[in-house]
Amino acid sequence: MNPEFITKIEGHGALHIDWKKNNVQLNVLEGERLFEGILVGRTAEESHWITPRICGVCPVAHHLASAKAAEDAFGIIPAQSTGLLRDLMLAGQLIQSHVLHLFFLALPDYLGIDKGTELSKKNPALFKTALSLKEISDEIVFCVGGRNIHPMTTTIGGFLKVPAKKSLEKLLGKVKIAEKAAKKTMELFSSLAYPELDVDLEFVAQKGDFILSTGDVKRSLIKDYKQDLQEEVRQYSSAKFAKYKKREVLAGALARIALYDEYGREYKDKLNFRNPFYNNLAQAIEIYHLTKTSQDIIDRLLKTELDLTIKKPNLEASLRGIGALEAPRGGLYHELHLDSNGIITYANILTPTVQNLSSIEKSARALLEQTEKFAQKKRERLLEMLVRAYDPCITCAVH
Amino acid sequence: MSKPKIAICDFTDCEGCQVQIISLREKLLDLEKHFDIVDWRLVQAKKEKGPYFATLVEGTPITPSEIETLKYFREQSKYIFGLGSCASLAGIPGIISKENREKWYKIIYGAGYKPQGIDALPIQAFVKVDFLIHGCPVGQEQLVRFFEELMAGQTPSYRNYSVCFECKVEGNPCRLVEKKPCLGPITQAGCKAVCVSGGSACYGCFGLRTEPNIRALLTILNNITDKKEIERYFTMFLSRTEEYQKIVKPNL
Repeated sequence: MNPEFITKIEGHGALHIDWKKNNVQLNVLEGERLFEGILVGRTAEESHWITPRICGVCPVAHHLASAKAAEDAFGIIPAQSTGLLRDLMLAGQLIQSHVLHLFFLALPDYLGIDKGTELSKKNPALFKTALSLKEISDEIVFCVGGRNIHPMTTTIGGFLKVPAKKSLEKLLGKVKIAEKAAKKTMELFSSLAYPELDVDLEFVAQKGDFILSTGDVKRSLIKDYKQDLQEEVRQYSSAKFAKYKKREVLAGALARIALYDEYGREYKDKLNFRNPFYNNLAQAIEIYHLTKTSQDIIDRLLKTELDLTIKKPNLEASLRGIGALEAPRGGLYHELHLDSNGIITYANILTPTVQNLSSIEKSARALLEQTEKFAQKKRERLLEMLVRAYDPCITCAVH
Repeated sequence: MSKPKIAICDFTDCEGCQVQIISLREKLLDLEKHFDIVDWRLVQAKKEKGPYFATLVEGTPITPSEIETLKYFREQSKYIFGLGSCASLAGIPGIISKENREKWYKIIYGAGYKPQGIDALPIQAFVKVDFLIHGCPVGQEQLVRFFEELMAGQTPSYRNYSVCFECKVEGNPCRLVEKKPCLGPITQAGCKAVCVSGGSACYGCFGLRTEPNIRALLTILNNITDKKEIERYFTMFLSRTEEYQKIVKPNL
């Protein structure tokens, strides 16, 4: 048998619970792959090929963050259509990741089943909805990136291959149909009975050149990410733990809806921003929003001439760059330093889950304090559900 | 008759090959019709002890506990199958050599950190393996072919030709002819040259084909690029192979 890890999360972790002190440690037991070491000595062009392998659930996020970091280092601003294609690929990535999490990892807890495929018997229509969203999100990433996992069409400054307009047209038709499935998913997740929990949550999300926060410091510059999102090493974990300005913060879907105020308005009264379990609903809202965003992007791509120029590196540039983006689970940061031959001399990767780990422990403490009347078994189950609601990506966090 | 029991276990890796199994969608249901998946941490809490008909192993067993788990599954399973390049070749984690790990632990985690990992090695370094499903990640068609063979009671088989054959079928211009490095000629087929078709290089994630002519490829690569780049290509996935250590490394 596999050892006692928390099931239905990405990666290997276990909860260490101190029932007397209401304290919880999230022991991360993933082997270290040392990606920041792997990258040193490699070319910048290899980095967006290597870093997707950090995580098979959100490879596109790493792929694009690396390419952005290299372009920042080389002083490259990619063509507009390159940006649009990347936005489309990232939208597909967020849907892929959210769908996998919601239907295969989180939902079984709420429906009294053990695994996602049991839904095919319990609620065949709903299972069909899940599969149709999985399919369309894989197709979006496949169409732009060449493969649903670990894409290979990106290069520094542009694309090695771009999709034919015919493929984009076909994709648009399919995304239109998927919008209905996304709406159903959002309705389903707004109808679930989430466990009660009250936590003074603080959120972070990237916007433009900034990190936005609901805490005391409302915003800071992404280029200062390393000092503001400080990581610390804990002996019980091979993943580091990060805090924003020394505060435990939640990153990801719930944080984005809290900070952006651009989508999910109609569901705002259903969301509870003091309860991390609602991150599930926030992800469902994002799936719906992203099926609409994807259609807009494809529309724009179909109306523009796809610029096939691959912008050339400027070796006179600073050769130090940061690539930041909102990955499915929140702000992702890749930093690359290069030598004059374009060889990587330094790499730093800070993932969303590293930020969330501190908040998971904070919410877990609150949960224990607020459920003292419950039996231990039930509290254990709730703690696991809580960890799942954050959708941690432990292979990302360790990398 | 009860269905054959299958376990899926994951060691240190990106978990993308397991995601590919989920991405089979309706076909995953077909798989469940034929097999009882009795242990799969990523998607279910249900967990049964062995013996198992087969265990699919994803990832490189890099920690002592992972090595122990692998040995347990070997003892309890009629068949052990490697799933993806981390299991079959040590994959991307294999880029860092055992000697270099110490240095990187210090740089990344600081002094005083107690590491969990020992060294990234393929699973066949620890146990007898019955078949390797290659790829980074494994392809969906490949998975279907593998499971169909298994259901039919056949021994899964390797393709004994190189990626080049599939690359020609896809209509790609030859990278080597265009003076771009490529490991296609020595790499086992099965991927349909998906990376080259996407504009990228082939780094050999499917492992070496039978009787690869590595020396001939090295001669060609030496005319195209420098030794450093040749080393980077070969060490992306193949550094833990005997052929790399014996034939390529001494020539770099």
